[in-house]
Amino acid sequence: MMEPLHNVLGLPLLSICTFLPAVGALGIWLFVRGDMAVRWAALAVSMVTFIATLPLAFAFDNSTAHMQFEEFHPWVSSFHINYHLGVDGISMPFILLTSMLTVVCIVSAWRCIENRVKEYMLAFLVLETTLIGVFAALDAILFYFFWEAMLIPMYLIIGIWGGKNRVYATIKFFLYTLAGSVLMLVAVLAMYFKAGHTFNILELMNYPFDFQWQFWLWLAFFFAFAVKVPMWPVHTWLPDAHTEAPTAGSVILAGVLLKMGAYGFLRFSLPICPDASQYFVPFIVVLSLVAIIYISLVAMMQQDMKRLIAYSSIAHMGFVTLGTFMLTQQGLEGAIINMISHGFVAAALFLCVGVLYDRLHTREISAYGGVVNVMPIFAAVFMVFAMANVALPGASSFIGEILVLLGTFSADHHNVFAFSAKWVAVGAATSVVLSACYTLWMYKRVIMGDLVKDSVKSMREMSVREFGFFVPLIMLVVWIGFYPMPVLDVMHVSVAHLVDQATASKLDAAHALAQMQSVSQEIVMH
Amino acid sequence: MAHVTTPFPFPEHLQLLMPEMLVAVAAMGLLLWDLFLPEGRKHWVAYMAIVVCFVGAFLTLFVCAPTPVEAFYGFFILGPFSAFSKVLIFAGTVFSIILSLDYMKNEPNKGEYYSLMLFAMLGMMLMVSATSFVTMYLGLELMSLCTYVLVGYQRDVLRSSEAALKYFILGSLASGLLLYGVSYLYGVTGSLDFTTIGHGIANAPEGSRMAVMLGFVLLLSGMAFKVSAAPFHMWTPDAYEGAPTPITAFMSVGPKVAGFTVFIRVLVDVLPALQSDYVTLLSWLAVMTMAVGNLAAIAQRNIKRMLAYSTVGHVGFVLLGLLSATASGYAAVLVYMSVYLFMTMGTFAIIVLMRREGIQGELLDDFAGLSRARPGYALAMGLFMFSLAGIPFLGGFWAKYTIFIAAVEAGHLYLVVTALLFSVIGAFYYIRIVKYIYFDEERVAFNFSDNRLMQATVALTAIAVVAIGFFPGPLIHACRAALVGIA
Repeated sequence: MMEPLHNVLGLPLLSICTFLPAVGALGIWLFVRGDMAVRWAALAVSMVTFIATLPLAFAFDNSTAHMQFEEFHPWVSSFHINYHLGVDGISMPFILLTSMLTVVCIVSAWRCIENRVKEYMLAFLVLETTLIGVFAALDAILFYFFWEAMLIPMYLIIGIWGGKNRVYATIKFFLYTLAGSVLMLVAVLAMYFKAGHTFNILELMNYPFDFQWQFWLWLAFFFAFAVKVPMWPVHTWLPDAHTEAPTAGSVILAGVLLKMGAYGFLRFSLPICPDASQYFVPFIVVLSLVAIIYISLVAMMQQDMKRLIAYSSIAHMGFVTLGTFMLTQQGLEGAIINMISHGFVAAALFLCVGVLYDRLHTREISAYGGVVNVMPIFAAVFMVFAMANVALPGASSFIGEILVLLGTFSADHHNVFAFSAKWVAVGAATSVVLSACYTLWMYKRVIMGDLVKDSVKSMREMSVREFGFFVPLIMLVVWIGFYPMPVLDVMHVSVAHLVDQATASKLDAAHALAQMQSVSQEIVMH
Repeated sequence: MAHVTTPFPFPEHLQLLMPEMLVAVAAMGLLLWDLFLPEGRKHWVAYMAIVVCFVGAFLTLFVCAPTPVEAFYGFFILGPFSAFSKVLIFAGTVFSIILSLDYMKNEPNKGEYYSLMLFAMLGMMLMVSATSFVTMYLGLELMSLCTYVLVGYQRDVLRSSEAALKYFILGSLASGLLLYGVSYLYGVTGSLDFTTIGHGIANAPEGSRMAVMLGFVLLLSGMAFKVSAAPFHMWTPDAYEGAPTPITAFMSVGPKVAGFTVFIRVLVDVLPALQSDYVTLLSWLAVMTMAVGNLAAIAQRNIKRMLAYSTVGHVGFVLLGLLSATASGYAAVLVYMSVYLFMTMGTFAIIVLMRREGIQGELLDDFAGLSRARPGYALAMGLFMFSLAGIPFLGGFWAKYTIFIAAVEAGHLYLVVTALLFSVIGAFYYIRIVKYIYFDEERVAFNFSDNRLMQATVALTAIAVVAIGFFPGPLIHACRAALVGIA
């Protein structure tokens, strides 16, 4: 294995990336006074964190599915809990996504957050720590630790800086997520004893659980991750949370938080419970198709732009879960590209709505119309992301969706329904039409048309700062849309390894283990 | 367990009892000293009481041997387990005295108030060192009688007197139940010593089964009352609400620690033969306690009353540790009580600080807008609430975690799932307080009395909760080590 860069420098790079924002937040809390100074300091911390995450990409070794940049220290030795970090080709892109979107969030909040600026910036930086921690953790308890800790800053972000109905939305978000994830804790604790006192995710992946165990573990994980993704029918917190959250809150929610659930499927469900995963494929397929088709129809009927994008997120995440559980190389790669792409596109769409909201203080579609006449540059930017949301060729989402569809077509599981996977792909492909319907219809009503409303006439064009945070997003969407190979190369080997894990049955090994145990028990008894 | 065996054993025995003697002498001394202090300097008694607690704690650790040592022919025991509980009790008392300094500024007769607290503490110390029902009952009654008086300390406040009366009547009933149960066990086994009764029950003749069961159930009911497990929790909300706030804080830690320590000792020494019975019984108690505590807390508008139900809920979780009946379960109880000490004391410190002109500071509404007026207190209160809800990076997470992992290990997976669901319900009323603090606008101007000692208490407890959240290892290790020679 190639010696990674950080070993040469002797730096615990992942720990630095994870805790830099939190330490920066502590420093800002203690030493920085004045709103403007806090803004700059927070921007500096998030930029430094982003720069600190770049070596993860540059020094990444594409040729191995092993964990890289690993760090291992005992944490709570009485329970064999370790501070164990590491990334592979699946988790590394998400860390970069997080650190990048946090910068965007902080810039986007520059003017619209006037109230309690310091707390806002601190909450975002702490949130960044927990999010990077989730993607870097290789110990199940450490993972849970970050996963739950995320609730605290997010609860405050929606509750303090949110819209009218923010208290309802944030409590709903908190309790929904908490209820889902406590079952994951039960599963993790149960695994600990079954697998011989270990919380190490890599060891748990290799432990042969029998089908009974896999079944229940899978279900417990499913509730935690399905709430977070969110999958139909446990998605109802998301439209509320998105609608009420401040713009940057929606950006980080859509951009990163939703990916945590899907990432959980990749990191826990598929490799630890492969047989149960295969068993539940039809179940996931049905839920995903409902998300794609039904939720798209729901999205079409929304009057509130943020709500519409929230429903569109659920539909796109349906694509992600579908691709994930096709258990093929293309399906999984498509799912991951889709997650990353959705991170950019949904984030950008929420930012677009934020730009409009800052001017008219309403998110109602009907309050706008003819915006193109006063804000031509904004209209063009919005167009790019609307098209990306539709998965137009040339946008990153196209790559993701086409890979998922290809993966679905080629999936040939013995247990996928009586009818073949092709029909699933056909059903999923309707998304392309439906997403075009709701996105373009919204675009038409908001941007196009004659300029009749006085309020719209008085709107200003975007400022340089506002334009500034769209530029990197446009570049990334188009870059991945035209040339996705660098991203695919990063994940290729890791995904191949995951496909091997997810399609190989653990049952033989579990059977052998059970037999061995009964034999050794007999020996003990004699 | 090693007995001290010398021809004239008392000096060595007395050595083990030194912390208790110190506290007893100090409590009486303070009562006298108070008479000679001029009116403006009565608070010196409180400072002296704090010093006594610190000296007592160090003395306890000093005389404690690495393995348990019995004294006075099996009436008293001191080992790491008792010492750990005693240190928690000392800490709880110190915090309560600091809270009282602020709260009782304008109350008369402070001297006897503080010596009553010391006497109550003495009772708890005897309880955790008891190896016989005589010592245990002595400690229990000393603690209870002092607490009844302390709850009703504000004689001219109606709810305080009412609470004291309710607490006294129900408490006496519970003591009666306990004694009645003990008398059955005595009747069957002819002893009051924990281990001797334990052997007696294990070898009890066939015909005495009924008497043993009666004694066992009555004993458990009495103890469940003292730790406020449902359905014996009825006194808790009234007593918590009516008592002066520092006494509420006092009651929610020390007596609970003492109660659970005795509970563990009784389960290990007296009832090992009835393990399957008490596990079943405690399972039902635990589920009921979690349900009552977490559901009833939602409906409360008074934060002290809410915290009373929250305590009941937490007791439900702790019962899971007890019924695991393993060393790790008992260690989890100690972890839980240690973390709970910091969370609760910090919370009550802020409630005491909230009291201002014309406002008790006890309604949830009174917290509205705290984050603007006092960001520091708001942050601390927020941390305590998230910690009580069991959200990580805070100590409360590890408290729950240790309990749950012990229960899973003992095979009570369904109970753990139930407990986790109730903890989600419980999270609602904790985050609702955060809502008042952070999301709502200030309604009545805050004017905090800036008391350095109180600020230090809030800061210390908040830092402790965060520090335990990040580095729980040493605490968990210490709690496990404390159980050497117990289970």
